[in-house]
Amino acid sequence: MHGVKRRELTQDLLSKKKARDVEKIVIYRSLTQRVLEAKKNEIYTVEKLSTASKLLELNPEFNAVWNFRRDAISHLRSQLSIEFWDQEINFTTLQLKSFPKVYWIWNHRLWCLNEYPGSPVEKWQQELALVNKLLTMDPRNFHSWHYRRIVTTRLEQMTHVSLNQQELDYTTDMINSNISNFSAWHRRATLLPKMFALSEISDQKEFIKQEQQYITNAMFTDAEDQSVWYYIKWFVKADCVLKVVSAEEYKALLQELKDGIVMINEDEKEFSGKQNIWCLKILCYLETIQVEELGVDLKPMKSEYLAKLAEFDPLRKNRYKYLDEK
Amino acid sequence: MSQLDKESHIRYIASLDSKRDDYEYWLSEHLRLNGVYWGLTALCVLDAKDTFNRSEIISFVLSCWDTKAGAFAAFPGHDAHVLTTLSGIQILAIYDALEVLSKKPEDSVGSDDMKTQCVAFLQSNQLPDGSFQGDRFGEIDTRFVYAALNALSILGQLTPTVVDPAVQFIQQCYNFDGGFGLSPGAESHAAMSLTCIAALAVVNRLDVLSPDQLEDIAWWLCERQVPEGGLNGRPSKQPDVCYSWWVLSSLAIIGKRDWIDFDKLREFILSSQDPKKGGISDRPGNEVDVFHTCFGVTGLSLMGKDDLIEIDPVYCMPMSVTRTFKKYPYEK
Repeated sequence: MHGVKRRELTQDLLSKKKARDVEKIVIYRSLTQRVLEAKKNEIYTVEKLSTASKLLELNPEFNAVWNFRRDAISHLRSQLSIEFWDQEINFTTLQLKSFPKVYWIWNHRLWCLNEYPGSPVEKWQQELALVNKLLTMDPRNFHSWHYRRIVTTRLEQMTHVSLNQQELDYTTDMINSNISNFSAWHRRATLLPKMFALSEISDQKEFIKQEQQYITNAMFTDAEDQSVWYYIKWFVKADCVLKVVSAEEYKALLQELKDGIVMINEDEKEFSGKQNIWCLKILCYLETIQVEELGVDLKPMKSEYLAKLAEFDPLRKNRYKYLDEK
Repeated sequence: MSQLDKESHIRYIASLDSKRDDYEYWLSEHLRLNGVYWGLTALCVLDAKDTFNRSEIISFVLSCWDTKAGAFAAFPGHDAHVLTTLSGIQILAIYDALEVLSKKPEDSVGSDDMKTQCVAFLQSNQLPDGSFQGDRFGEIDTRFVYAALNALSILGQLTPTVVDPAVQFIQQCYNFDGGFGLSPGAESHAAMSLTCIAALAVVNRLDVLSPDQLEDIAWWLCERQVPEGGLNGRPSKQPDVCYSWWVLSSLAIIGKRDWIDFDKLREFILSSQDPKKGGISDRPGNEVDVFHTCFGVTGLSLMGKDDLIEIDPVYCMPMSVTRTFKKYPYEK
């Protein structure tokens, strides 16, 4: 059980729960028995489907019941109207609103979309609206992001129109509304290489400049959060960036990022007397690229950063020791 | 609380099957076989394996056989799945009872023995890109890749035709931050990192990860520890006891166990115990369950704490059991 508060039930409340449970158990077991009997004997009727719905409303994790449902629908297929399919999809919408993290519901929805008569483009387009809504409710739900990727891929296959720009804009919106939404940063980092490869970015150099500006703003906005730092770690080693910038531009890019990070860290020192551990981690990372890959002549600070990290981020002191000895 | 309350955890696990008056008992039927595996593994780690009745449990495992699919379901009358098939095989392996699979299943005439059918079921769920679906309905997830390879490994039935494409698929699930997602392009998640890393370890193919990748993986994993001491599954998420397993076992497999702080993690796990009825919850103050009890104690075992029985980070089963498994690639 995830996230269920422990309750100390009094004797009185406990006996009340027991009494309520008696009735619930009778209903649940009777539904289960009816569905599993039908499943065993392959009785695929509309009536059994409705029994299965009742059971899934009580327990959306009951995968054998979802399976029965799909077998029954496949069997009844020729008798089912379009309205039936719309209702079936709507059933999963209602379920997802209550249980947005149940794999089986997402899986069933996807099955419905695939099996929907003709599997029309419009149906798939509507899915983006649902995902948008669920991602507004929980912007980090990885099921929603996964489903979004499946839907956009499918749409692109059907329409032969790239959705990359639209999706990139979506990640910008999500990040702007919450800078620590790593799911959106992740999606961004997987979209950009595709966009560069497909020449969907007209002025690539200019784009990289703007992206650098964007992440610089982000790190100044919330330097405590890991998300932007992971993105920077990706950005400075991304093939799509390295292919576009010249050696000199690359050196400048790294140095500018470092200058910004040093500034943030100095502010932190002044403000709290401590140092920002993510600033130090990324400074180490950038300095390693500068020294080991580019041979930049600079005063190495890595050992000093690592010593500070061992002090301010003691949970990971063995990693810093390892890096220092390396 | 600075003690692992072994006695009350053993009592809690022993009591699980007697809660038939609770609605929740019935609601969790679809996880029963997995639950038996979590409970049994926790008991083994607590050196109390005999708490469960061996022959009753083996009978229960066999009663979960799904004749149509030829593999194990979570409960009698439910449907077989790759995950529950792994649980069934793990339980039998822990009891040194895999030989029961050499029989033909009850109520089926003229079919293959159960082991042959399990192997066929697992192999038939592999897709052309090397991934595995959980069952015939096509959900793909690295969890199923791990479960299938793990089960085939316990049965000593891995083959290059299964392993090689699976390894390629896992490599595609690697992300720039050093984590793995549930499928190519999916965000890194600690549970999926374990499934990918442990799957590679099961098939002895960790060598496909470069030294730089391994360092990035270990970095990402150790960043999962939050100031409270617990580990989270993704950046900016709350800590949860089950990640004590997903993260720590991954680190253990790649030889970087000590990149997190053991004492702080132990403190977090111990503060998630229910002092009254036993068991461990996802985080302090929450309701306990057998899943988190299992991954709490196995996490402590991986840290060598509290005088527990040694657990194998690759299989999440006692070392004494996994030592007997044939190691892939098999000698001819």
